[in-house]
Amino acid sequence: MKLLVCIKQVPDMESKFKIGTDGWYDREGLAWRMNEYDEYGVEQAVQLKEQTGADLTVLCLGPEQVKETMKKALAMGCDRGVHIADDQSHLKDPYEIASIIAEFARDKNFDLIFTGMQSQDRASAQVGVMVAELMGLPAVTTIVGFAYADGKVTVKRELEGGVKATVEVAPPVLVTCQLGLNTPRYPTLPNIMKAKKKELLSIPAADLHKASGLQETAKIEFPAKKGGGVFLEGEVSTIADRLIGILKEKTAVLA
Amino acid sequence: MEFTREIYWNVGHGIVTLAPMYLFTAVALAVLVYGFLRRLKIYRLGRPVERTDAPLARAAEMLRTMLLQTKVLRVTGPGLAHAFFFWGFFLLFIGTGLIVVQADFTNLLFDYVFLKGTFYKVFSVTLDLAGLIAIVMLLGLFVRRWVMRPPGLESKTDDMVMHGLLLTILITGFVIEGARMAVTELGSPIAGWSPVGLAVAKLMAGMSPELLLDMHRGLWWFHLLLALLFIGLIPYTKLRHIVTTGVSAFFADRGPTGKLVTLDLENEAAESFGAAKVTDLTWKDLFDTDACTSCKRCQDRCPAYATDKPLSPMQVIARIGEQAVEYPEGNLIEAVGRNAIWSCTTCRACQEICPAGIEHVGKIVEMRRNLVLMEGEFPGDEVMTAMEQLEVNGNPLGLGYASRGDWAEGLGLSSPEESDILYFPGCYGSFDKRNIAVAKSFVALCQAAGIRVAILGKEEKCCGEPARKMGNEYLYQTLAAENIATIQGFGIKKIVTTCPHCFNTLNKDYRDLGLDCEIQSHPDFLAELIAQGKLLVDGGPFACTYHDSCYLGRHNNIYDTPRELIELAGGEIAEMEKNREQSFCCSAGGGRILAEEKLGTRINIKRVEMAAATGAGLLLANCPFCLTMFEDGVKGANIEESLKPKDIAEVLAERLQV
Repeated sequence: MKLLVCIKQVPDMESKFKIGTDGWYDREGLAWRMNEYDEYGVEQAVQLKEQTGADLTVLCLGPEQVKETMKKALAMGCDRGVHIADDQSHLKDPYEIASIIAEFARDKNFDLIFTGMQSQDRASAQVGVMVAELMGLPAVTTIVGFAYADGKVTVKRELEGGVKATVEVAPPVLVTCQLGLNTPRYPTLPNIMKAKKKELLSIPAADLHKASGLQETAKIEFPAKKGGGVFLEGEVSTIADRLIGILKEKTAVLA
Repeated sequence: MEFTREIYWNVGHGIVTLAPMYLFTAVALAVLVYGFLRRLKIYRLGRPVERTDAPLARAAEMLRTMLLQTKVLRVTGPGLAHAFFFWGFFLLFIGTGLIVVQADFTNLLFDYVFLKGTFYKVFSVTLDLAGLIAIVMLLGLFVRRWVMRPPGLESKTDDMVMHGLLLTILITGFVIEGARMAVTELGSPIAGWSPVGLAVAKLMAGMSPELLLDMHRGLWWFHLLLALLFIGLIPYTKLRHIVTTGVSAFFADRGPTGKLVTLDLENEAAESFGAAKVTDLTWKDLFDTDACTSCKRCQDRCPAYATDKPLSPMQVIARIGEQAVEYPEGNLIEAVGRNAIWSCTTCRACQEICPAGIEHVGKIVEMRRNLVLMEGEFPGDEVMTAMEQLEVNGNPLGLGYASRGDWAEGLGLSSPEESDILYFPGCYGSFDKRNIAVAKSFVALCQAAGIRVAILGKEEKCCGEPARKMGNEYLYQTLAAENIATIQGFGIKKIVTTCPHCFNTLNKDYRDLGLDCEIQSHPDFLAELIAQGKLLVDGGPFACTYHDSCYLGRHNNIYDTPRELIELAGGEIAEMEKNREQSFCCSAGGGRILAEEKLGTRINIKRVEMAAATGAGLLLANCPFCLTMFEDGVKGANIEESLKPKDIAEVLAERLQV
């Protein structure tokens, strides 16, 4: 069994963002980490590897610095890393990214591909599904439960309004992972040390870059500052009445 | 007349007495040696650790601890009883030794007798009084243990045997003496030199000489056998502390206080890190378990134990000891218990008071290291999140690293190259609103004194202390290496901290990793400025209480300087009951600042209640963790209005005279 998990390096969301000159945010002065949703993907892939003895590759697109994040995935238990070297990856649209990944993965016979549900910075939620589409694989999105038995994958999907769907699917398949799927492990020291010696292959993005983007970034700007919270002060009974009024007026929770 | 007495009087001088006596003695000594050899095998299960450097200083410390009972005497009641009992018993031991030397060597081989004349008088009266003191003290300890039964004091068969045996030995000794004196000394001037024996002899005066002689002979053998039983039992019962507690002082960690062992993480041969089983601990760690007398002084001072958490330092040592004997390859962490291991605040109150020199904190950290480095386990998800934040942003709060120096904007700080000191505010001083006020006060004081202050700003990272104390040695070493490279890159000569955790870490732990510049805590630095006349503070008298943080106090012995600073500023300190060496932790040490306190009651609330009980409305601290916990504690205890926590730097800045 062969597994692939695709991860992205994103800025820590507590960072101070500035709009850059290249149509995206300025990359200076940011702290970088693994996209949260991809961490669930890595954890699930490692669990499946531990269960089945599968071979697990982690793939990441981006400049040299993404190797730091890949090392964490390797320390969590991935067997090898594939770094698609691209200093301009942040300017590529989801279709271009998906095409590059699909181009890499097409002839590798992966039984399962894990991706995050979306990235924390661009949040398009398109790369995973487009990789599946380009490779002609079924995709199951926003999974919050995963089981593999008897050659079948059973996943729980999170739907709108708290409803969950159980989907059964036979590999090869691509799943996109959502918060709640698992608790990503903290790498142990021996695994951190082993990770330093694991194979980390670098491929220039140009070798795999065969499609051009479909989207164009017209403009990037901070959301306009709107009014903050509302403080209700006074007697408890009047506050309660006012709160009920606001909830009725502005939300559907009491409907 | 010659003042002396006949040794072996009535029991006989010949082979009939000596042969069985020597035989029994030899057996007892053999049993003693065999017992300790067996214990030695247990200690040898542990890893090596160097504890024999400076042997003379170590021996001096051992003798001081044993003979002067210095550590035992730090708790007055039972400490005094133990010390006097020890001195009494020790004199009897020496007296018995002198008799052995005379009767079995000098007199036997060279017909030389020295227990005579004035020396005999002194010998006799000293031993009599020593025996009396020992009996009285032992009875006092007996009443404490078996009648008063102080909470937490566990009494086992060992204790029963010790009390019974020692008391019987002492009492039979006087009965034998009394019987002998009733026959040989009553009415003679020599009797006055054995006052206790004389009193007993007078009680027996009416008995027939035959009965006295029989009783004397019988009791003499009984007393001898009990004494030999005592010797033989030493390694097999708590009596072993007679040897192990003293020897533990010899093998003590000679500091710096509280400095942890820096692990070699690159060691390829290491299969495991931290302690998963007793064999991962050092031989001294295992030896410690034999030095413990279960006196419970550690437990009485443990903030976790005092707030109903499943940690007693005494029990941790007991579990390690049992495990070492019964299952040396078994799971140590299960035996001690995860909740006990994670509850420790590394406040060092246990280690500070321990009369046996046991090193509790290092053992707990070793077990944590195993959990974190080998299992990826933490006491809670919030701790794992904080660790990840430390990796990403260099602070456990998860705030953007680039804004670390924002607090100092507009304060007119110098660049590191052109500064007199580098101020290392730490994570809380940099990011936490309440502690930023402290950092600003400190800078204001420095600037008033004409000191050019620099910070590393976004290049500073957490010193790594909370991660390290939680067992995450790898993360600590990563953060430390980055900080050291930055500090050395600027050629810094002197660093001042306002966080005792940073202070202790930079000043002790970073030394192993190559930091060599001067590090000073803010109370020490500010006291120097005042002494040099660079800083003038005065604002009239005010009432306050002062909390010794664990890392400035017990870890660094800085107790007086902060108090002097407070008094210079006009403060009148109403001390809390638990102060100085016995100060009660705020709950945030040992990396617990990163963890939620889910077990038992809140330590910080207990501490602010102690502060409130002084009646002073101001609680002065010297540590950002303490301050954070106290701000939270006064809210939790609902005493926000009556007790204000502040850092020393804040009150000094308020009272600055320009």
